[in-house]
Amino acid sequence: MVGKEGIGSRMFDLLNIGIMLLLCVVMLYPFLNVIAVSLSNSEHILRGDVTIFPRGFNIGGYSYIFKDPFLYSGYVHSIIYAAGSTLFMLTFTSLMAYPLTIADFVAKKFFAIFLVITMFFSGGMIPTYLLIRSLHLLDTYWVMIIPGCISAFNVLLFRSFYQSIPADLRESAVIDGANDIQILSRIYLPLSKPLLATFALFGIVGSWNGWFEALIYLNDENKYPLQLILRKYLFTVSFGNGAGTQAMQAMLAQLKMDPRNIQMAIVVIAMFPIMLIYPFLQKYFVKGVMIGAVKG
Amino acid sequence: MAGLRTFFGKSWNQRYLFLMVLPGFLIVLVFSYFPMYGIQIAFKKYSAVRGIWGSEWVGLKYFIMFYKDPTALRVLKNTLLLGIYSLLWGFPAPIILALLFNEIKNSVFKKVVQTISYLPHFISTVIIIGIVRTFTEREGLFNKIVSLFGADPIVFLSEPSWFRTLFISTNIWQGIGFGTILYLAALSGVDPTLYDVANIDGASRWRKVLNINWPHIKSTTIILLIFSVSGILGTDFQKVLLLYSPDTYEVADVLGTFLYREGIIGARFEYTTAIGLFQSVVAFILLVGANLISRKVSETSLW
Repeated sequence: MVGKEGIGSRMFDLLNIGIMLLLCVVMLYPFLNVIAVSLSNSEHILRGDVTIFPRGFNIGGYSYIFKDPFLYSGYVHSIIYAAGSTLFMLTFTSLMAYPLTIADFVAKKFFAIFLVITMFFSGGMIPTYLLIRSLHLLDTYWVMIIPGCISAFNVLLFRSFYQSIPADLRESAVIDGANDIQILSRIYLPLSKPLLATFALFGIVGSWNGWFEALIYLNDENKYPLQLILRKYLFTVSFGNGAGTQAMQAMLAQLKMDPRNIQMAIVVIAMFPIMLIYPFLQKYFVKGVMIGAVKG
Repeated sequence: MAGLRTFFGKSWNQRYLFLMVLPGFLIVLVFSYFPMYGIQIAFKKYSAVRGIWGSEWVGLKYFIMFYKDPTALRVLKNTLLLGIYSLLWGFPAPIILALLFNEIKNSVFKKVVQTISYLPHFISTVIIIGIVRTFTEREGLFNKIVSLFGADPIVFLSEPSWFRTLFISTNIWQGIGFGTILYLAALSGVDPTLYDVANIDGASRWRKVLNINWPHIKSTTIILLIFSVSGILGTDFQKVLLLYSPDTYEVADVLGTFLYREGIIGARFEYTTAIGLFQSVVAFILLVGANLISRKVSETSLW
């Protein structure tokens, strides 16, 4: 790419930079706007002139939301569900993938086919719901942790990662008298740390952002994850009209608050953990997509 | 007999391996295979007391009901149209962006833009739609833009004609950056000497994209296209569920949301299981079909 570049080529570079800057604005603006609105007062929110800086600084939304016990309960439950499902996913996936790498395992082919079938066929939403109901798992913590924790795709990915570990390592461990559980925990897992980290992050983010399972399997609001509390504030609670909300409106007016203060405050609170680890997160996610692509 | 004995002997020697597979096996058996067994209620009059097996067979009753139900047909049509439009607009977007990323010369700038473009991918659907709601309000950003053109404010969320645009454009916004990763990986495999040779030949940048970059991402594109085509009925109904309202059902109601409303809320288990089965059969046919066509046309296929 040295030397003479046509004027057209240079024009394109400029245009491309312009497109990229526009892209950054489009990607970032909504988030900055959410933060700004959460910190502005009702006058400016109603006029709709808040952009990326708060106007008429107001933290009423946050002080309102921090008084709601459901916020804390939602946070705690989201952490329980994310930690639980990720822990079980990593444990059972790494256990299940290991025997599938061993050439003379008698049931290797059976289990591989058993898994692959689930990649093409599934029972669907309603039969799964009926099953969960008949197992009396509705409204339990387990329903948020166990049913989704094994995916055939993950097991096969783990298997192909293990296969890149030299077989000599296992053979010499066998000669030294180690059993397979020891080989997995002392040789394979330490060598799979990057894989485990990547899938831990996949699992945590997926669980943190998920809400539909909770919607259909949990009726007890005391067990709701944060996303459902968020949904309640954003979609079902109406601050603006209805008979019971007059006191609420008076309170909001007195504090120069708009319902959107509260709504955007809880959005900020829900995004906070993801944003905090984002630089780290995105690096591992990119890595994870690559691992998936090599295999898939 | 001797063969059987060695089989069991070997199995006993490998008992640790069986033990390791066991938890995963049980979870998949219960939560993936039992629901498949449950599909038979699509052909039965389901009674919770008598169980799935004990319920009475009714043949194709629910499939005929589906065929005659105008709401269900509208739902099918909506699903298909939303899927096709999403594919048409959403599929090329990350390819174009990846090619543009690839033309950025400053590697720091490139890295920064990429990192920013991935951000929306990590945000939950509930938050995304929450933001869409505030942007589409009367005094929201979108109506500010509308008023720049001197038009009257639009009630976007109750306007059926805006539903697909909102749904697809937010999908693109959320997925375009992250969707470039696989294409960029393919582009990083381009041998730089190819560009040098092209420069000597005096090739324009557009020529280089067409003759060097495109052939490198072609097989990735085709594989992703096969997945997208087979997923055409698999709308992200969780997002629809947050975005739609009875005002927009006429275009927004899709199979997933219909199954949720009629099945889970309305407890019409047999009927919705039948529709779900229909949906998975069609998805499977589409996958096999797309793969077959791709193998014929481009010699790229999944299996």
